[in-house]
Amino acid sequence: MSLVIRKSTVEILCAAKWIFRRDCRLLSTLPEKTEIVVDEKERIPGRKTRSYNPILENRHVYPEFLPDPNPNWRNSLREKMERADMLKRRSQIDIPEFYVGSILAVTISDPHAQGKTNRFVGICIERKGCGLRAEFTLRNVVDHQGIEVRYELYDPTIQSIQVLRLEKRLDDKLLYLRDALPEYCTFPLDMDPEILPEGTPVPINPVQVKLKPRPWLERWERQELKGVSNIEEHLKEKDRVRRELRKTPWEKYDLMKNYRKTIPAEEQSEIWNEVYNQLQQMRVSRKKMSRKRTVTTPKTQLA
Amino acid sequence: MNQADVSKLVSKLRIKVPPKHRKLSSPQGPEGRLNKLRKTVTGLIKYERIELNYRRADEARQYAERLISEAISHGDCHKPTMEIADYWLLEKQLVHKLFKVLVPRYENCNTAFTKMYKAPQAYYGRHIDKAVLELRGNPYPTLTNKQSNNRLLLQNVLLDAAKYDYRQAKYAEMAEKLGKTEEVKSGQSNEDRNKPSN
Repeated sequence: MSLVIRKSTVEILCAAKWIFRRDCRLLSTLPEKTEIVVDEKERIPGRKTRSYNPILENRHVYPEFLPDPNPNWRNSLREKMERADMLKRRSQIDIPEFYVGSILAVTISDPHAQGKTNRFVGICIERKGCGLRAEFTLRNVVDHQGIEVRYELYDPTIQSIQVLRLEKRLDDKLLYLRDALPEYCTFPLDMDPEILPEGTPVPINPVQVKLKPRPWLERWERQELKGVSNIEEHLKEKDRVRRELRKTPWEKYDLMKNYRKTIPAEEQSEIWNEVYNQLQQMRVSRKKMSRKRTVTTPKTQLA
Repeated sequence: MNQADVSKLVSKLRIKVPPKHRKLSSPQGPEGRLNKLRKTVTGLIKYERIELNYRRADEARQYAERLISEAISHGDCHKPTMEIADYWLLEKQLVHKLFKVLVPRYENCNTAFTKMYKAPQAYYGRHIDKAVLELRGNPYPTLTNKQSNNRLLLQNVLLDAAKYDYRQAKYAEMAEKLGKTEEVKSGQSNEDRNKPSN
C-alpha cells in the first residue's frame, strides 16, 4: 500500500512540474524535449559568431603566405624560412595589395640592357603559386598584338610594382581575355593611378566581355564563367549537349575534395599570427612615407 | 606548387587525412563513389555504429567528420551547410538529428567525432578487411574490452579473493607465531617463577 501511495505522489509531483514548466518556460532549468527546439533557435546566433577570427581575412590579401595544400609537398621548416624570406623581400620593396582583375605597372631591371629598366602595364589575369614561387601574369594589347608577361612576385629584379586600378572581376581567372575582343584588355602604358578613398572595400567590376568567334584556346562554355556575355552565340547544339554531359554538380558537395584544396583555419591562424605583426608594421610605415611625399611635392611645385 | 583555395574556411579534422582519396569502383564514376559514401554516412548517422569494409569505412569516416564539423561551425541557419546536409543525409529526419542531437553533443569535443576499429575477418571466403565505425558517445556498450579497473570483472573478483585468502593465511601465521612466542615466554617466566621457589 505504501508503495502505491508513494508512486501516486511522485506522479502528481511530475504533473505539477510539467504544468509549471508549461506556464513559465523561461524559469525552467531542465527543459523538456519539445522545448529544446526553442532554446536551440535562441542559441544559434551565438554559435555562428564563435568561429569568426578577423586575422583570417588576410588570406585574400596575401594568399601566397599559405603553403601548398598537398601534404606530400609540405615541409614546415621550409615554409617558415620561405615566409621569413618573403617578409625580408617585402621590407625592401612595396608589394601592394592586388587581385585578379587589377591593373598593375611593373618595373623590372632589363636583363638584356645593363642599367636600364623595363616597365609593363597590364591587367592581372592570373595569380598562382605559393611561397617564394608566387607569380602573376599581366596582359595588355600593344600595337594590336596581345602580350602577356609572367612575373614572379618575389623576383629580386623587380624594382617596383604599382597598382593603377584596384578592383576585382567576377571570375577567379581571366584567361578568357585571350579569346576576347582586344578592347577589353587594352590599357594605355601611361595610365594614371586611380586612388581609392581609405577604408572602402575593393570594388568588383561587373563588366562582361565579348568573345571572338571560334576557334578558342579553351572550351570556355564548360567553365561556368560569369564575366562573358556572348558565349551562347558561338555554340552549336553539339557543344550544349556535351556541356550538359560534362557538368559535375556533385563536386561542390564533395567535402573532402574541398578540404584537400584548402589550408584549415587552425593552421592558417598560426601562420597569420606569425607574419601579421610585421606586415602591419610595413603597411603603417609605407602609409606614413606616402603622406610625407604628398606633403612635400606641392612645395617643390610652388618653388 | 598550387595556391591554397581561400574562398572557404574549414576547421581542421582531428583524424588522419590521407593525401589522396580512395577510388571506390563504380560504373558512374566519381558521382557513383559519392552516392556509395552517402549511403554509408546516412547509415552511420542513423545507427551510430556500423560494420563494413575497411576501405569504405575509412573514406566515409572523413566525410562524416567533415559534415559534423561544418554543422558545428555554421549552424542550421547557413544555407550552403543546409544544402550539404540535405545532400549527404538521404533520410531527411536525420538532418534534424545532425543539428539538434549531434551538434550539441560534439560542440565542446576536443577529439574526433567518430571512432573506427578493425573488425575480425570471416575465416572462409575472400580476404577483405572489415571495420566497425561508430559515433562517439553512442548509447551502445563499448567495443573495447579494457576494463582492468572494473571491480566486478571476473578476473578482478578472483584476484581480490586470492589476495584476501593470502592475507588471512598470513594473519593466521602471524597469530600462530605470536602465540608460540608468548607461550614460550610464559613458559620461561613460569620456569623463572618456579626456580626460586624450588
